[in-house]
Amino acid sequence: MKLLDWASKFTRRVFIARGATTLAAAAVAGKSLLADPAAAADSPGLSAQQSRALLRFTRDLFPHDRLPDAAYEKAVAPLLAEAASTPATKQLLVDGIAQLDASTRTSGGETYMRTKDEGVRVAAIRQIESGAFFAKIYGDTITPLYNQPDMWAKFGYQGPSSSLGGYLHRGFNDLDWL
Amino acid sequence: MPATFDLNDSSVVVIIGSGAGGGTLANELAQKGVSVVVLEAGKRIEISDFKNDEIAMFGLFSWFDPRTTSGTWSVAKTSPDLPVWTCKLVGGTTVHWAACALRFQEHEFKVRTRYGDVSGANLMDWPIDLAEVAPYYDRAELKMGVSGTHDIPSLPINNNGKVLFAGAKKIGYTKLQATKMAINSEPRAGRAGCQQAGFCCQGCTFGAKWSTLYTEIPAAEATGKCEVRPEAQVLHIEHNSAGKVTGVVYADSSGALQRQKARAVALAANSIESPRLLLNSSSSQFPQGLANSSGQVGCNYMRHTSGTVFAIFDKPVHFYRGTPQSSIVMDEARLDPKRGFVGGYNLELIAQGLPSFALNLAPGAWGRERASVIDSYANVAGLWVLGEDLPRETNRITLHPDKKDKFGMPIPNVHSDDHENDIALRNHGYAQGEALYKAVGAKRTVRVPPFPASHNMGTNRMSANPRDGVVNRFGQAHDVPNLFVSDGSQFTSSGAENPTLTIVALAIRQAEYIAQQLATRAI
Repeated sequence: MKLLDWASKFTRRVFIARGATTLAAAAVAGKSLLADPAAAADSPGLSAQQSRALLRFTRDLFPHDRLPDAAYEKAVAPLLAEAASTPATKQLLVDGIAQLDASTRTSGGETYMRTKDEGVRVAAIRQIESGAFFAKIYGDTITPLYNQPDMWAKFGYQGPSSSLGGYLHRGFNDLDWL
Repeated sequence: MPATFDLNDSSVVVIIGSGAGGGTLANELAQKGVSVVVLEAGKRIEISDFKNDEIAMFGLFSWFDPRTTSGTWSVAKTSPDLPVWTCKLVGGTTVHWAACALRFQEHEFKVRTRYGDVSGANLMDWPIDLAEVAPYYDRAELKMGVSGTHDIPSLPINNNGKVLFAGAKKIGYTKLQATKMAINSEPRAGRAGCQQAGFCCQGCTFGAKWSTLYTEIPAAEATGKCEVRPEAQVLHIEHNSAGKVTGVVYADSSGALQRQKARAVALAANSIESPRLLLNSSSSQFPQGLANSSGQVGCNYMRHTSGTVFAIFDKPVHFYRGTPQSSIVMDEARLDPKRGFVGGYNLELIAQGLPSFALNLAPGAWGRERASVIDSYANVAGLWVLGEDLPRETNRITLHPDKKDKFGMPIPNVHSDDHENDIALRNHGYAQGEALYKAVGAKRTVRVPPFPASHNMGTNRMSANPRDGVVNRFGQAHDVPNLFVSDGSQFTSSGAENPTLTIVALAIRQAEYIAQQLATRAI
């Protein structure tokens, strides 16, 4: 499948620009919300359950099994902060999660968060992927998720190099399998 | 020592913009003893401000002023508010450019003659040819220290380049080269040699890459004939009843309006802002916009027909290591309409750090399909199809009817519809790129749509006849003798080559012309 064909169906806001502006707020650490509901109770905007659903949603959008929950927590931290201070954002998130829940309850009987079958969750996301909730989460989390230097090694990316003298003596032309 | 000129000093040449065109023109004029004031909309930063941080540098460098888009081009969907990726700072887009320094080919200056009358395109020959520009290409290459020219050694081939070349050979390509790059392959001109850091587009921390920020601009200032004013956004170019420009009005760093008088004005604000300024400088004498009797100001917007192919292999490539665009395959850059399109394309290397790769891979896509590509990041190779974009009169920059920026100036709308030639060329490039990688064992290939363009051309085009374009063979406005265009907007065609070397060559040539015109009091 060509991702281009897939992507061309979408009309989205500017992920690049939004990613750049939200990044500064992204450097927030925390306990694992997925594993520890008590931690989520501290979130002033969304309920613990809603926060966990948002984390699950972000992982479903960008499902990297190699990444720990902590990576997704950092990615959604700016959104949670915005929801706590901006009623319109909170409403958008609450409504979106409710839509996901309604969808998975119909098809699988459980809330979105408690639905174990990834296929059921993915089908629920498909139903809302052209809406504002999807665009908001996608646009606001993609850069904070991938711009975490402590996660780059998991993808084989070495990151900044100038302070190490570049790659001139560190493998820029070490490929030997051709 | 940087000069300081009075706002009422009407002897100066005002240059709007400090990138490849403006920065070069400023230095060339200052070296000839001409007094120059450079008005740059962005801030002034230094090499010490550069970081190997894609997202932070994108935020620091980019031109984010509001723009709108329309048309069928994919960028209007994937990046409607940010249709181009250019810079707003002293040095302009030379701060982030990847530094491919390629010459146009002979036929690319004569597209109407060589390609014929292509329906739906606005093809026209340049009023100059390769032979005329060649000596200035030489001077540009020497000035910029272009590797692989004039006995300057080429840059070495990195891992991504090894894959590109192996695949290219397998499918019969023969024009495989280390790209001619305006990056020092060894220490030169007081700047370091390339350390293969891989962060060219985030500002070269070693200064090995040519940028006007730390070459032309300080050299111009050292003459004592050049003043650079950062955070000076020009809003209007003024003229007198004789139809000559007299100065410009700009907003300074505090937002206050200033009027700088001028003997001549050179516009080098890139291909969206330059026509925007001319259109916004309309008057009773120039009702369609300044220098726009042809109606061509803002028209013929070209960006390059582009697309990216990523390939996933079983073994590591680590394509982010080293100079991202240091190899090229030029076999398809020829003119050969049998392929189903006119114009050609180069296959240039592309590499991105993980954050950029993830962001640009497939805007809007999600789920396991997309994630699995990113999971393979270390084993990815990539090439960028860079092809000729045909000029169309209807692909154009216009002033938005309602929306205004913070200074009250109408924001630009960027309209582009792909020509069927563009689509055929891009698809050919995608297919060849995929075949190339599959020939050396790629498990999977991914087509990526065009990014917001850093190559922007054509919106004040050069023509022999004043009826057909905005400026003459020296970039001098047909309608206004002391007004010049010094950026890529003067291009009559886009070629299959990155535009910067040609912009610099034309700026060197234009400086000779302007100095001569000043000396003979022709302007």
